[in-house]
Amino acid sequence: MSAVAERVNDRLAMPLPATIAEAIALEMERDETILCLGEDIGRAGGVFGATKGLQERFGKGRVVDTPIAEMGFTGMGVGLAQAGMRPLVEIMFVDFIGVCLEQVYNAAAKIPYMSGGRQRMPMVIKTAGGCIGSAAQHSQCLWGLFAHLPGMKVVAPCNPHDHKGLMAAALRSDDPVVFIEHKALLLRKGRDFRHHPDVPDGAYTVPIGEAAVVRRGSDVTLATLSATVEHALAAAEDLAGEGLSVEVIDLRSVVPLDADTVAESAGRTGRLLVVDEDYLSFGLSAELSLRVIDLLGLSGLRQVARLAVPDVPIPAALSLEKAVVPGAEMIADKLRQMTKGA
Amino acid sequence: MTDAAMARDRFRRMAAMRAFDEACLDALRRKAIHGELHVGLGQEAIGAGMAEALRPEDAVVSTHRNHFHALAKGVDRRALLAEICEREAGLCRGRGGHMHPFDPATNFSATGIVGASIPVALGYAHAFRLRGEAAVAVGVTGDGGSHTGGFHEALVMAGAARLPLVVLVENNALAISVQFEDVSPTETVAERAAAYSALGLHVDGTDVDAVAHTVAQAMDHARGGRGPVIVEAICHRFRGHFEGDPEGYRSKEERQRVRDNFDPLRLYRHRLAAAGVSDDEADAILVAEKAAMKELLADVLDMPMPDPAGAMLYRFVEEARA
Repeated sequence: MSAVAERVNDRLAMPLPATIAEAIALEMERDETILCLGEDIGRAGGVFGATKGLQERFGKGRVVDTPIAEMGFTGMGVGLAQAGMRPLVEIMFVDFIGVCLEQVYNAAAKIPYMSGGRQRMPMVIKTAGGCIGSAAQHSQCLWGLFAHLPGMKVVAPCNPHDHKGLMAAALRSDDPVVFIEHKALLLRKGRDFRHHPDVPDGAYTVPIGEAAVVRRGSDVTLATLSATVEHALAAAEDLAGEGLSVEVIDLRSVVPLDADTVAESAGRTGRLLVVDEDYLSFGLSAELSLRVIDLLGLSGLRQVARLAVPDVPIPAALSLEKAVVPGAEMIADKLRQMTKGA
Repeated sequence: MTDAAMARDRFRRMAAMRAFDEACLDALRRKAIHGELHVGLGQEAIGAGMAEALRPEDAVVSTHRNHFHALAKGVDRRALLAEICEREAGLCRGRGGHMHPFDPATNFSATGIVGASIPVALGYAHAFRLRGEAAVAVGVTGDGGSHTGGFHEALVMAGAARLPLVVLVENNALAISVQFEDVSPTETVAERAAAYSALGLHVDGTDVDAVAHTVAQAMDHARGGRGPVIVEAICHRFRGHFEGDPEGYRSKEERQRVRDNFDPLRLYRHRLAAAGVSDDEADAILVAEKAAMKELLADVLDMPMPDPAGAMLYRFVEEARA
């Protein structure tokens, strides 16, 4: 086997969290002001392994195992940023944000504005969201919550390539960035991804705020992000066999929201479906739909539809979870319904 | 420094702080300040006392009642007053206002959320330790803030890592209306220090000499790597929690009793006399500081308000003007 082929195989066998840890390590190497705080990120290397090996390499001062004190260590991140450091604060599951939201939305997100641009807030809040059968308090996505509160960039990647590049971009950003991983993706290896499992070796960035067209199509535009991109691609493959051509867009970030790329596509296909694993009401699906309508005009689309968790806590029973969280089948059904008789 | 010079300096600092907040009250009457203004009148001895022990490299994270701490840290009073009066030339270009002054140049910041200052101060303390700097982070809060989760969490972490953190508790015994003795499980806040392997110090917050001595001791302890300190300064707030507070929780007589018995400037007169500073000289200091602030306020009120076209600027770095 050639060296290149071996390297690619290694990459494909690599769990996604190892790729994230690699991205953080490369940034910590090039910038000694970066440090990580969080529960179980040091000795244990993170509950998913996304900070594995960092404490051994960079020491306990830069990779800090904190007590279960999110309000304390999230505020500590704010102070570190004000003191000229670039903290990465891990909130193990995004559902835990309730105990420290104060420091996130009143401090980190507002201080750049409240200081008239005089105080920078280079802080990454890294957290895991998404459904893997963990019920109501360990399954939420909540990117719509962060996006509703002004002052934070909100990123939710879907593949290994973008996790590495967006993590580097987040750590280099002078603004607060909420980086939401999906638990189902964190449990995968490179080869399990349909899209962009290839990961370059060195450090690189993926710009925050640019959506990616991940599958070309002509009948309908489907916009989504995070793990749902995988479901959307599976649905699109199925429907291709039925003669329906679906364009799939990975938004990659909720703030900034790249409505231009979605509008360009939806203007061509005439139909837009927004799929969101977050809650339906007052969220991403309505916001993106309206921004696209603003760009195209009321007559610019034949159809707009959305699919999201219908304003209910995530249930424990898998049969119930499947009934409320958009998966490949639910997405395919919705697309068939939209294009019936078209 | 001779006793007279030191006493004069401390009195002048208190007089400057009092004049500053009186100017704020004046600005409020002229409708140049909006929202609930919190003045520190009656708590001047704490701001003035802590000023001497603070070095430029130290950090202070303050509260909703932050003016005296900002002045103590060396924040430019012109820029601070302009910010409080919501001017474009203010410390934060009129975006922060009186509850949210941020001054990276002096390592000074504040928060309007009670208790939220202490975790932020902890961050400075960790940064100083990591970089091997001999600086100390001071987190200020009140008796109300001492009951919050963030206060506890930050002290747990600071105590475990022996970080250079001084938590200054201005105990005026009133969390808006709720009395300290009705809600505190301990007689003092300082005695809780033992739970965090911290040093607990208790001081009369109306006595500028005692505050200066105690804060210096706390800063030395933290700077020397011996871990966090809680300094509890007992004080009295002359005015309501905010300007406009109907103060239904205390009588007019009680308010007058506080002013008559616990005014740190009046209480300092006998020290001034003992140090050889005459009453006339003290009066002259008060008059001079008042006049300086009157002039400064007039200047500030002539400054332009922020241009409405800039309301969306400064959320993100790319929106910051050069």
